Amino acid sequence: MTSESQRRRVFWQILLFAAGLVVLTAISAGSVYLVNKARDDSKWVVHTIEAENQINALLLEVRRAESSARGFLLTQKPDFQSDHEKAVAAIVPALDKLTRQIGDNPAQRDSIEKLSAAIETRLDQFSREMNFVKQGQPDMATALVREASGGDITTTIGNLANAMIREEERLFRVRSANSDQSQTLAASLTGIGSGLVVVLALISIWLMQRSARLRDEAEARLRDANVNLETIVDERTADLREANDEIQRFAYIVSHDLRSPLVNIMGFTSELEELGGDIFRRVSSLTHIPADGPPLVPGSTGEFALDGPDQQLSADFSEALGFIKSSIAKMDRLISAILNLTREGRREFQPEKINTRDFVETIVSTLAHQAVEAQAEIHIEALPNIVSDRLALEQIFSNLIDNAIKYLKSGIPGEIRIRGRTKLGYAIFEISDNGRGIDAKDHQRIFDLFRRAGTQDKPGQGIGLAHVRALVRRLGGTMSVSSELNAGSTFTITLPIAWNATKRNADK
Amino acid sequence: MTQPVNIIMIEDDEGHARLIERNIRRSGVNNEIISFANGTEAMKHLFGADGSGIAQKGNALLILLDLNLPDMSGIDILKQIKENKYLKASPVVVLTTTDDSQEIKRCYELGCNVYITKPVNYENFANAIRQLGLFFSVIQVPPAAP
Repeated sequence: MTSESQRRRVFWQILLFAAGLVVLTAISAGSVYLVNKARDDSKWVVHTIEAENQINALLLEVRRAESSARGFLLTQKPDFQSDHEKAVAAIVPALDKLTRQIGDNPAQRDSIEKLSAAIETRLDQFSREMNFVKQGQPDMATALVREASGGDITTTIGNLANAMIREEERLFRVRSANSDQSQTLAASLTGIGSGLVVVLALISIWLMQRSARLRDEAEARLRDANVNLETIVDERTADLREANDEIQRFAYIVSHDLRSPLVNIMGFTSELEELGGDIFRRVSSLTHIPADGPPLVPGSTGEFALDGPDQQLSADFSEALGFIKSSIAKMDRLISAILNLTREGRREFQPEKINTRDFVETIVSTLAHQAVEAQAEIHIEALPNIVSDRLALEQIFSNLIDNAIKYLKSGIPGEIRIRGRTKLGYAIFEISDNGRGIDAKDHQRIFDLFRRAGTQDKPGQGIGLAHVRALVRRLGGTMSVSSELNAGSTFTITLPIAWNATKRNADK
Repeated sequence: MTQPVNIIMIEDDEGHARLIERNIRRSGVNNEIISFANGTEAMKHLFGADGSGIAQKGNALLILLDLNLPDMSGIDILKQIKENKYLKASPVVVLTTTDDSQEIKRCYELGCNVYITKPVNYENFANAIRQLGLFFSVIQVPPAAP
């Protein structure tokens, strides 16, 4: 999985979340607004109904006043009179209330003014009628009633009131519709918003599932890759081990088989040498027939005299054989060295606890003779104890100390120091001398097989350090050198404090 | 002990065979030396056509054996000699270039009487062979089991 696609997914998730938040906020705001509006609308609807009621109540009071006035006119009973007075008293407040209630509507304001005027006129007529009746002139009152009904005031009042009711009913319809609309809107908004949120949530879940699936797939791939990697590493390790074993076997067989013809070469060279001796003795006996004695018996030992050219021949012969023999001897040493190296490479190491100081002291005591000869003093400082292979460690230390003694500067008392310390589970040993030192360009070369550095005035095959480094590596450590020409050398070995052979042996 | 001891030399390298023979002779041993350059022929001679070893019944033998043979391992030959009732009493001298301690140990375990590593240094080689000659002269080679 690339980081690009991962970034994109994170971006989409954040976007979705933000969108969900925005939608929720919008829905909340819209809902609050619409609910408020719906409440307003409902209030207006209620107001309209109240106004209509008030109109009806007013009309009722007017009718009551009228009917009670007529009753009084016909019967002159005081009951009707008091009823009429109550009705008239209720009319004015009712009218006032109605005026207040519908004051917001200009159309209704006109109507109410007209209604007020009509009602006032009618009230005036009522009071005159009542006065005529009280004064005992019912005829006048009856005429007045006739006149009133003729003037159609009552009708006018009824018409006006009806018009107003119609207007209120229209308003009621309009306001009800408004209210319905607001509520529908609020419901729709909530519905759509909820839908959106659900959709966003679904998308989010889908994205999360996809991401989880991708992650699982990636994990599976990683697991596979790890398993593959382990298999590959195992295979490679096995291959390497096989190749290494092969090289060891090869080196062993080759050095072995090289030895066989070498035995012949050396053997017959020696035979040849003897033959040469015989031949030249013979030549000598033939050319030098001594005057004062018997000729030399061929094959007899002892000096034999030869003339100039014959002597030269004999010398050349011996020289040639000498070179052949020294070369064979050298070759034999090299082959032995290779054999020893392969043998070391095949040896199983046995880690054991080593008291390093005692151990190094023992090694130094075996080299004491050489040290005295080279006028060298060896100082052993405190050394950390380690768990390692005793034999390998012995070869490492004796090689290095031997080298230090061997390559001292002649004429200067040698001083060799063996120091030790620990660091992070490793023991670090330093073997330093004040000897001839090694040129920086040779620092790598001295660890190569059959390679040496500096003045070649000491015997050696160039094997020691190669061998030491191979051993150190097999013990799980490293080694290095720091040195300057004529300023001494320090060889540093880093070895694990508790080396565990099981891993390596298990690998085998 | 009137019967002369025959020396059987199994050595594939002619040069080695010659050097060994010469040095044996120089040490004054004059017994007959029968050489074989490969294992198969030597086995045929030792064990006979039927492979039972009865052909050598009653013969006194001393066997010089090289371990690196072209057709078979000297160790196998040693093992078979020491497992054969007619031959097991014959002394076997292993003479080879191998100086691996494991190999030497193995040979002695199988019953080899002397193990000599052929040194490249001829002086040592000649000495070893001459001492072997000395060894031949003092050793009582028993006749193979009757």
